[in-house]
Amino acid sequence: MMHQPMKHNRPPMMKRIADASEPYLYSAPALILIVAVMLVPLVVGISYAFRDIQLLNPFSGGFVGLDHFRALGQDQAFYGALRNTLWWTGASVFLQFTFGLILALLLDKPFYGRGLVQALVFLPWAVPSFLAGLNWAWLFNPVIGPLPHWFYALGLMDEPHNILSDPHLAMWGPIAANVWWGIPFFAITLLAALQAIPRDLYEAASIDGAGPVQRFWSITLPFLAPTIAITVLLRTVWISNFADLIVVMTNGGPADRTQIVASYIFTQAFKRLDFGYASAIALVLLALLLVYSMLIVLLRQTMLNKG
Amino acid sequence: MASIDIESVRKSYGPVSVLHGVDLAIKDGEFIVLVGPSGCGKSTLLRMIAGLEEVTGGEIRISGNRVNDLAPKDRDIAMVFQSYALYPHMSVADNMSYSLRLRKTAKDKIASAVSSAATKLGLDPLLERRPKALSGGQRQRVAMGRAIVRQPKAFLFDEPLSNLDARLREQMRAEIKKLHADLKATSIYVTHDQIEAMTLADRIVAMHGGVVQQVGTPLELYDTPANLFVAGFIGSPGMNFLEGRYVKTGEGAGVRLSDGTVVPVAPRAGLAPETTVTLGIRPEHVVIAKDGMLEATVDLVEPTGFGIILHLSLHGLPFKIFTLDRDALSAGPTVRVDFPQKHLHVFDETGSRAD
Ligand SMILES: Nc1ncnc2c1ncn2[C@@H]1O[C@H](COP(=O)(O)OP(=O)(O)O)[C@@H](O)[C@H]1O
Ligand SMILES: [Mg+2]
Repeated sequence: MMHQPMKHNRPPMMKRIADASEPYLYSAPALILIVAVMLVPLVVGISYAFRDIQLLNPFSGGFVGLDHFRALGQDQAFYGALRNTLWWTGASVFLQFTFGLILALLLDKPFYGRGLVQALVFLPWAVPSFLAGLNWAWLFNPVIGPLPHWFYALGLMDEPHNILSDPHLAMWGPIAANVWWGIPFFAITLLAALQAIPRDLYEAASIDGAGPVQRFWSITLPFLAPTIAITVLLRTVWISNFADLIVVMTNGGPADRTQIVASYIFTQAFKRLDFGYASAIALVLLALLLVYSMLIVLLRQTMLNKG
Repeated sequence: MASIDIESVRKSYGPVSVLHGVDLAIKDGEFIVLVGPSGCGKSTLLRMIAGLEEVTGGEIRISGNRVNDLAPKDRDIAMVFQSYALYPHMSVADNMSYSLRLRKTAKDKIASAVSSAATKLGLDPLLERRPKALSGGQRQRVAMGRAIVRQPKAFLFDEPLSNLDARLREQMRAEIKKLHADLKATSIYVTHDQIEAMTLADRIVAMHGGVVQQVGTPLELYDTPANLFVAGFIGSPGMNFLEGRYVKTGEGAGVRLSDGTVVPVAPRAGLAPETTVTLGIRPEHVVIAKDGMLEATVDLVEPTGFGIILHLSLHGLPFKIFTLDRDALSAGPTVRVDFPQKHLHVFDETGSRAD
């Protein structure tokens, strides 16, 4: 008696399964696509780090556990690349930001022909990085480029030679190219932020007695701070991963003096064809950048909470 | 405290002339209101006094010293902006003390200046807040506080109440007036609102199209407007105007309207007979009378609670009456009106007052 009505109300088994799986079926195409495009390569890539994958060795492919990471711990070239990465990233971001900010401040003032100058300033951004690298490599080459001769004429060099082949100076070559190439990014984003600052704040401050420097510190900088924080974070991560210019201009040389972690990964993977080891390095770089990003996010949070 | 003298001051932006020679002598401690419709150049004049705009021609003097080429910070004036322009990254206290800190005033002096200004304006409980955590009225007070802590020579206000709702505007208007009675600082106040001008000003400067139309006390402007613009701009509901011709009559003079009715007016020495004139009368001065000389149809009756506004058609033109008499509620469909002579204004062909 008690089971009778329930049995009646209960839909057939198939129907219930179909009902329950309906939302999953609808979203399945999108989910499958995302998994296939994003997760599979990531997981496969990470799995390489724990396997012996050498393109020229047909017997490779086996699981090696943490062997790659142990080797990495002993790898002096890796530590060198890590130091170079710090230098490369720090100098590039600092100079790009500084020049970008100066440029944005200049472009924020109205002057005749500002539209044209703005367009020209943002041109480097549109140049493919490989082209920029080649161009700068040629500029530094005393046979075809003018820069060494100018440095020589200024007394900065004993003779016009190529700084890209000087172990002590080589890093400044790609850094110069990177700064030239990356200034527009900062200039664009900072200019947009600058133009969003209400003009009457500056007027109020100038009536209150603030000079240009005081206005910059008490109005411009606080308004730019969130933009600065986020752009510097993004650029730091991006530049430390950015090996194009180095590969094109110096290929990590001379004597690994310009080898950064990203270009070291590139060398391991596509020159030595050791995909397993390259993946292991990439994983370490990923972890380091994650830690860095977390620290910045934490810093931002505490700053926001305080302010 | 200072006097401010403005002498044939002009302003142009490139080829566009915005102010065509303004003369104004502001006495020490006076409250001057610049009033006029939007775009007439009030803000431009105020900003030139503040030093935020270049002076194209003429001279501005504060306490007798020419300031044309002085930076804003060296003029010792304070300004309250329509947008308030509070520094969003500073607390209320820091906003108010910013100018003193820049001048390296002693800490205890700053503290006492800020706290006395805060007390005057009722800002004491808000001193640690950021501007974004304040209401519009509170922000307005902070902007005022920022101006008064400095004890400047003069206060400049650019439509400081425009962003407030009507009730708050009324309240702040009274506070500004009290504050001025208290501080007695020279003040120049820009507004497009003639009520604000009437209630606040020692003297009103009515402007139109970059030209000063009339300078005078509120009641001078109200009772003897110098021209059609001032007559129409000051007062709400605005003055009624009727076109006609000036005529001599047996007893004196009159204005003959289009239908032939002659409205008697006091004789005007400067007017030749048969010149075209405009007759003006304020809505509250029109008298409704059974045997009135003109008949008008009633279009609309607007009770305001305080009084009643009758919208009429007189000779086909809109015409308004303001009356306190509640009988007017049932007026219509036509009324007869009279114009008491002493309340009639006559303006000549150029729009200037004829007396
Ligand atoms: N920077 C400028 N460039 C060109 N014209 C301007 C500028 N600032 C104001 N004007 C013009 O000057 C006139 C007066 O402006 P303003 O003083 O702001 O008027 P108000 O404050 O009386 O409304 C307006 O017609 C306005 O268009
Ligand atoms: Mg204005």
